[in-house]
This record gives sequence, C-alpha cells and structure tokens, in this order.
Amino acid sequence: MKEKIEEVTALIQEQCLWQFFSRSWDREENIEGIMTMTGKILNGDKINLVTPVDKAFYSDAKFLAADIQKKMPWISELDKSGILELVEGVKNRLLYITVKKSRNCELNLSNY
Amino acid sequence: MPLKLFCCDECIPERQNHVYVKEEGEDTTQFLPLSNIETIPGSLSERGCSYCGAKLVIGGVIKDCIQMIHGPVGCAYDTWHTKRYPSDNDNFQLKYIWSSDTKEKHIIFGAEKQLKKAIKEAFKEFPEIKRMFVYTTCTTALIGDNPKAVCREIEEELGDVDIFVVECPGFAGVSQSKGHHELNIGWMRDKVGTLEPEITSKYTINVIGDYNIQGDTYVLQKYLDKMGIQVIAHFTGNVTYDQLRCMHRAKLNVVNCARSAGYIANELKRVYDIPRMDVDTWGFEYVKVALRKIGAFFGLEDKAEEVISEEVAKYEGKLAWYKERLKGKQICIWTGGPRLWHWTKALEDDLGMEVVAMSSKFGHQEDFEKVIARGRVGTIYIDDGNELEFFEVLESIHTDLILTGPRVGDLVKKLHIPYINGHAYHNGPYMGFEGAVNMARDMYNAIYSPMWSLAGKDPRVVDSPMWSLAGKDPSVVQEL
Repeated sequence: MKEKIEEVTALIQEQCLWQFFSRSWDREENIEGIMTMTGKILNGDKINLVTPVDKAFYSDAKFLAADIQKKMPWISELDKSGILELVEGVKNRLLYITVKKSRNCELNLSNY
Repeated sequence: MPLKLFCCDECIPERQNHVYVKEEGEDTTQFLPLSNIETIPGSLSERGCSYCGAKLVIGGVIKDCIQMIHGPVGCAYDTWHTKRYPSDNDNFQLKYIWSSDTKEKHIIFGAEKQLKKAIKEAFKEFPEIKRMFVYTTCTTALIGDNPKAVCREIEEELGDVDIFVVECPGFAGVSQSKGHHELNIGWMRDKVGTLEPEITSKYTINVIGDYNIQGDTYVLQKYLDKMGIQVIAHFTGNVTYDQLRCMHRAKLNVVNCARSAGYIANELKRVYDIPRMDVDTWGFEYVKVALRKIGAFFGLEDKAEEVISEEVAKYEGKLAWYKERLKGKQICIWTGGPRLWHWTKALEDDLGMEVVAMSSKFGHQEDFEKVIARGRVGTIYIDDGNELEFFEVLESIHTDLILTGPRVGDLVKKLHIPYINGHAYHNGPYMGFEGAVNMARDMYNAIYSPMWSLAGKDPRVVDSPMWSLAGKDPSVVQEL
C-alpha cells in the first residue's frame, strides 16, 4: 500500500494545483474534500452535491479519479476498504508535503 | 548540494537560498527557494515595481477606463504600450495614457490640486468615458497626497463618474507582486458587489487571471460561449469596469494566473462562498482538463467534450507537426512566476521539449512549490535572477530557446540565442488549443531561424556565410 500511496501522491504533486492554494486552511480543506470525493468516485458510492464547494471538489475529484484509473491499473483490484486506506494515506502524505512540512513562509498568514 | 551558489554571487552568498537544482527523490519539504523577499543589495534584479504590477499587469487591461497615473510623466510612459492586450472597443486602453504630470512645485506644495485638475480635464476630453482608475506612484505617495479624498470630491461634483484608487507606490513591497495584491484587495473591498449584472445563463463564472494578451480572452470566451456559460467578468481581459463590479454573482471562479489574481478569488470565496477552481489555460492537454473540470462543475460534460473534439480536430495535426521538430529541444523559461509552472510540463508533454532552467521575477514560494513539483530533475530553479547569474546559467547548460521578457530578451538576443517574448508573446494568442499551436510555431520559427547565427557573423570576413546566403559576391568585401 505504501508504494501505491506514493504513486498517487506523485501523480497529484505533478498534476493538481488545488494542493497548492495560498494558505494552510485552503490546502487542508481541498485535500480533505477532493480526496474524500475521489474515494467515493473510485468506490462507486452515491454522491450528493449540496453546496457549490461540494461541486468544485467533485469536479477536481472526477478528473483525478479518471486519471488514477487510466494510469494505475492496480486500482481496480482494490476493494472498498483498500480504496479508503489509499485515500487516507494520500491525504496524510499531501498534508505532510504541502502543509505540515511545507517551507512556504506565507502559509499561515492570517489574511490573503 | 541542491541549493546552488553561482560563482558570480560569491560576494552575496545569500543568493544561494534563491537557487535550487532539483535532484532525484527530493520534494519541496527538503528545499524551497526563498522568494517574495527584498532583493539582495548587489544583485542586479530585473523585477518591476508595485505600480507596474497594478497598472501594467491588471488595471491597464480594462477597456473602458481612463487610467490616471498620479506622478511624473515617465511613470505613465513606462507602462504604456509595452504589453499587447487588445479589446473589442477599438483598443481604447492601448491608445491613450493619462498622467497628472507632477513637477517639483507639486512635490513642495502638494499635488492634490494638480490631480483634481488632471482628472477633470481627462473626463472633459473623453466625455463618453465615466470610469477611472487612479494609481499613486512613489512621488505622490511620499508627499502624502490623499487621492481617495480628491476622487470622492470629484465623484460628488460630477455625479455620473466612478473612480477607483489603487495605492501602489513603486517602493511598496518587494516587486510588482505587491501591486497585484493591492489592486485585488482594494477592488474587492471598494467595488465588488456595487452593481448587479444581467444574468443570461444559469451557468455563470468569473475567469480570473487572464489578461487578453494578444487575444487570449477571446479564445477562452469562444469555448465558454459554446458551452453556454456566461462569464460575469474576466479579471481583467477585455473587461469593463462595471463588469468587474458584478463579480460577486458568479457561481464559480476559474483561476488561471493564481499569482496576480489568486487574492481576489480567495476573497470571493471567503465573502461570497464562490468556489475557486485553479486551471491551466495554456497547454494543449491542460486546456482539455480545464474545460472538463468546468463542465463537471455545471453538469455540462457533454458540451465540454463537444468543444474539445472540435478544437482537437482542428489543431491536433498542426501541433504534431511542430512536436516532430521541437522534441528534445532544451529551453529556459525566465518570466514572472506562474508561467514557469503553467508551461514546464505542458511543453514537455505536448511537444517533448525539456525545460532546463527557470527563473521567476516575482513568484512567491507557492509558485516554487508548484514548479518544483511539476519540473524536471536537474533543472535549475531561480528566484529573482540577476543578469550575471543568467550568463552563468548559459555557460553551464545548453539551451535552444529562451522564453523571457523584453529586458532579458535583449540580453539573450545579443548572445544570439533564440528568444520568444514570454510575457506579451511574439504572435499569440498562446492560450487554448490554437494558442498552443501558435506558441509551438513561434518557438519553431525562433529555433530554426538562420538569423541568430548570422547575427554573430562579421560581414567583413570573406568566407562569412552571410554573403553566400545573400547571393553577394564575396570579392565585394575586398573593396570595403
């Protein structure tokens, strides 16, 4: 699983701008929202889009899920709990790189 | 050592923290260049100023405003006509420039009266124009003028005009980035929400951080029209002052240049709950992703696919022709900040090119996080590069082309290295599918042009290829 987490993290690092929003709270919100939505899409769960933010997360997640399915054939072999474990692992790795250990000095400024 | 100290910087060793060479297996938790901090004394920076960031990059694009620059006349000239962002109202914003033309006496006695006179004169000369941007500059900020008070007086006096003041003296901040910030936050504070738009579609967006450089906005607008999406405002390509006042009514903010305009997207999210979606509108493959994401947000996936199919059919073959000729070519991107991360992987994936060195004038660490994540191993990443460093980079790597601005462009032209204007383009637009082809064409023309090598030949030398190419008789040279 660790290798799979690293593979998906590498893909996101290279492709996705949402992990690099301006402030730590934006990044945390995006990582949580988009990765959770990606997990639901990959698991074929019912998705209920209530708020505009949900819809934005869904748009990014839909593209990411499709990219994962296209580039990582092993994804189809994971069961639901495997997908959830993968998603949680990727969330933690992204938070580590872009928030917790980020060297970006502007991440925690209180204003934009 | 991934952080690199150039030989030319030995006397300013602090520069080491601004230069990074990516190695295999590294990520940005280990190394991230310092950026958006003061230029180190001794480093010949090519940064612009806060006023330049506000006026030249963002405000000056707006097509129906008088752009009043409160300061000496030179400040006005230096942000006029240097960037080509057309408009569909006969390029009003490119044809004229206005200045309060402050002189020594105004510095001594105050320039507010002079500003008032200039504003009233400008409105009188352009009676059809009722909107104005006023920019402060170093001089008028230093003497403590209060342009906002002047403008409120004039608004009351004339009744039918609306004026926005940007406090952007050149000395504020560390680069033009401060001017982007001031304009974004000021506009959000003073103007967004002061007018209601006419809504013509249930799908509404703002396109943020696209400045219609050589028609970029027209390209994006065409795609969005086909998808049935209403653009409330482009921030700020081909836009009117009043359209920008209506930004609060969009359902989605689509952000391209997150550096110059991410602030207003963040504030629109904070204040009005409008989500921010960052996309790349440069790059053939990236544009597909951008349209698909916008389509997914509104449930317009089919419309997005229709646009993509139509455009791909038109331009895919052309791009492939250039790819055959550009793959493996090594290039440098020395621009402002965001184009580093917008372009590096796009050029690699779309055209097979290799970006070997990148320099950002005003990027923040967020931009370096993006570009290092997307960029290649072995590539040199520089913040606020100076000219001696550029020379040293060119000694250490091979490059077939440099994408940069006119200032550094002149430097590399003298070295006979092909150069493409990475700010205002050579022959754009560069955004969208057709833009990707235009950019490839310009790079092909630059790399394969014989002019660069011929420019290095001395015509007085008999065996110079310049003579044979021009069909001249080399013996003529004997008479010189």
